[in-house]
Amino acid sequence: MSNAPLAAPTVATRPRPRVSRRTLREWTLFGLLAFPNIALILMFVYRPLMTNIYYSTLDWTLGSPTARVIGLANYREFFTGPDAATVLRATGVFTVATVGGSMLLGLLFATVLNRRLVGNTLARATVFAPYVLSGVGVGLVWTFIFDPVTGVLAGLLRAVGLSSPQWFLDPSLSLTMVILVYVWKNLGYCAVIYLAAMQAVPRDLLEAAAMDGAGRVRTFITIVWPLLSPTSFFLLLTTILGSLQAFDLIRIMTPLGNGTTTLMYDSYLQAFGGYNRAGYSAAISTVLFVILLAMTAVQLHLIERRVHYA
Amino acid sequence: MTINPSLSRRSLLGVAGLGLGAAALSACGGPSTSTAADPVSAGADPNGPSFAGVQPAKEITFWSNHPGNSEAVTRSIIAKFAAATGITVNLVTAGSSYEEVAQKFQAAQAGGRLPDVVVFSDVWWFRYYTQNSIIPLTNALKAAGVDTTDYRDGLFADYQYAGGQWAVPWARSTPLFYYNKTHWTKAGLEDRAPKTWAEIAAWAPKLQAANTGAQHAYEHPALADYAGWTLQNILWGYGGGWSKKGSFDITCDADPSVSALQYVQDSVYKGKWAGVASQSATDDLAAGACSATLGSTGSLVGIQKAVAGKFEIGVGFLPGGPVSQSPVCPTGGAGVGIPKGIKAANQLAAAKFIGFLTNAASTVAFSQATGYMPVRKSADTSSLLTANPLIGTAIKQLDVTRTQDYARVFLPGADQEMAKSVAQLLTQRADVKQTMTALHGTLEQIYTTQVKPHLG
Repeated sequence: MSNAPLAAPTVATRPRPRVSRRTLREWTLFGLLAFPNIALILMFVYRPLMTNIYYSTLDWTLGSPTARVIGLANYREFFTGPDAATVLRATGVFTVATVGGSMLLGLLFATVLNRRLVGNTLARATVFAPYVLSGVGVGLVWTFIFDPVTGVLAGLLRAVGLSSPQWFLDPSLSLTMVILVYVWKNLGYCAVIYLAAMQAVPRDLLEAAAMDGAGRVRTFITIVWPLLSPTSFFLLLTTILGSLQAFDLIRIMTPLGNGTTTLMYDSYLQAFGGYNRAGYSAAISTVLFVILLAMTAVQLHLIERRVHYA
Repeated sequence: MTINPSLSRRSLLGVAGLGLGAAALSACGGPSTSTAADPVSAGADPNGPSFAGVQPAKEITFWSNHPGNSEAVTRSIIAKFAAATGITVNLVTAGSSYEEVAQKFQAAQAGGRLPDVVVFSDVWWFRYYTQNSIIPLTNALKAAGVDTTDYRDGLFADYQYAGGQWAVPWARSTPLFYYNKTHWTKAGLEDRAPKTWAEIAAWAPKLQAANTGAQHAYEHPALADYAGWTLQNILWGYGGGWSKKGSFDITCDADPSVSALQYVQDSVYKGKWAGVASQSATDDLAAGACSATLGSTGSLVGIQKAVAGKFEIGVGFLPGGPVSQSPVCPTGGAGVGIPKGIKAANQLAAAKFIGFLTNAASTVAFSQATGYMPVRKSADTSSLLTANPLIGTAIKQLDVTRTQDYARVFLPGADQEMAKSVAQLLTQRADVKQTMTALHGTLEQIYTTQVKPHLG
């Protein structure tokens, strides 16, 4: 056996792939084009989001230069307090009713407007118009209509010997009133989207169904509705997000939030409605954010699987 | 160009890094934090900062919600002030209500541009005091040459706490009893406001039988319209209150308070002669939908304009109760104050403007245009009374006013909680004692968590 020292083993190294000039140039171009957007999103979306989560751990009175770190106490207070059940219930009822109402009525209007009728263009514009109106203006007008003493509706009811319900004082009627107005304002959006989707349904399929003797209802259920599923999925996603963040109509029509305090409105009331509890309000906003995130994820991963893309 | 869209470990770490960076960045802003509550600056001079050697700024900003549609009269006062002093005042519509001005002011505290003068309602100035957002005005008013002894004592004292003067009365009001004289005549009633709530209950059947076309003989003001304020009167009349006089001891569930609110509930459900306004009781009165209501004196001129040519409006002192008939009228309305975080030169100019805005001539002009109370003792109200004799009743009532309960004006969100509780009584016929006991707990918690720690 030789006593000669062993030479250090040589490790074969793979040559690193050199980044080509072309790739570098493309990445630089990508960076230049994407950076402004990334910077804006970081600054105006993620930064406020993180700030809000940070504020939710504080006992902070809005306007005060100082605050106290209290960890998760705001969340504990929300989920163990007496208001959570009421607020979550109002949020659930409002969201289900407005999303369901807007989509169902939107589909109904779209079905009617999809036919060749006299004054079709005017009818389409009329259905869509409320959607583009200011929520504050709509709220004020409907507040006058619903006023049980001097309102238009009360006048009509009086004319037939009925008294007006207390729309603004009874919490469940307040919620019903706001839901009705929200659906009226937003069904035009669903109607227009559904209408566009209906017009994209291949005519040969409809003609083939007609030749096979399928009636209108059967054609709608077996052909049109499945082909509308991507549209329904899109509308479900956007209207749920919109409903959970509804604010203007609730603020104008029921400023105290009597029966209409959804998560979004509770967050506003806690910070700006007299309580000035900015930390607690931030915690409610974070809860709303988590719910929105979870619902969107569920919709994307579960419901989308059942969507039929043509 | 192709970019691999799959999420590699490196890109995941990059995103995580960005997230942490954003979190760190966000933690840099906002309030400074500690683990203990921050009491109001102990040891600070209760007279406020010194203005020795300070020259007033040439231009300042005034945030207002124009209470009582006062924008035009405020602009005319500002023009006179500019002519007299050379100081320009930029009047900013900072909201349509005291609450909206407060939102904007509080948001500005967190980093926006502060005004130099801001309107404070009776429920807001104390919060600004606990937040160290405003200055005590004694030194500022002295440096501006304002004679503070001429302010009506009760109205001026409303803004005093811990030895400091935190605002000056401006658009001050009280509730007033409004009634439709035509309905009164049809019912064969004397042309005067009822002296007690028992008298209203006795008169109500006559009003209901008189075919006035009104839906209710009396309408309780809208709950969103400061229910905690308008109900002070009946609570005091029955010997109760939201809290003990000059104290944070909550008494809304004490027997006299419960009796008072039981009377209110019975007027709607048992007697069925009273209703509750959905939006504005004074609008309903003007529309002939009710025969009487309570409303702010700041609404007087607006109501008179609304009913002109339709019927004559009558006004009177607020009714008394079985325990107390006077004083049972709360003060209310708004004052003006000066933020802490602005330059001394601006604070001095602001003090000069506040003095001018509330001087004898200005307060009379303001009252004439709105119905708010003259806030100066030396104000010559003769022209005011000649032009609008009803304002005389409102001014006389000032002598029998009482400062509001601490629970209503000093507890953040108390007004909203009171309105919610009263809504349960008047719309769901909830049990008065139980509802008020629950309100007691809520108010107690607000005091313990949000006020007490800041009082040191």
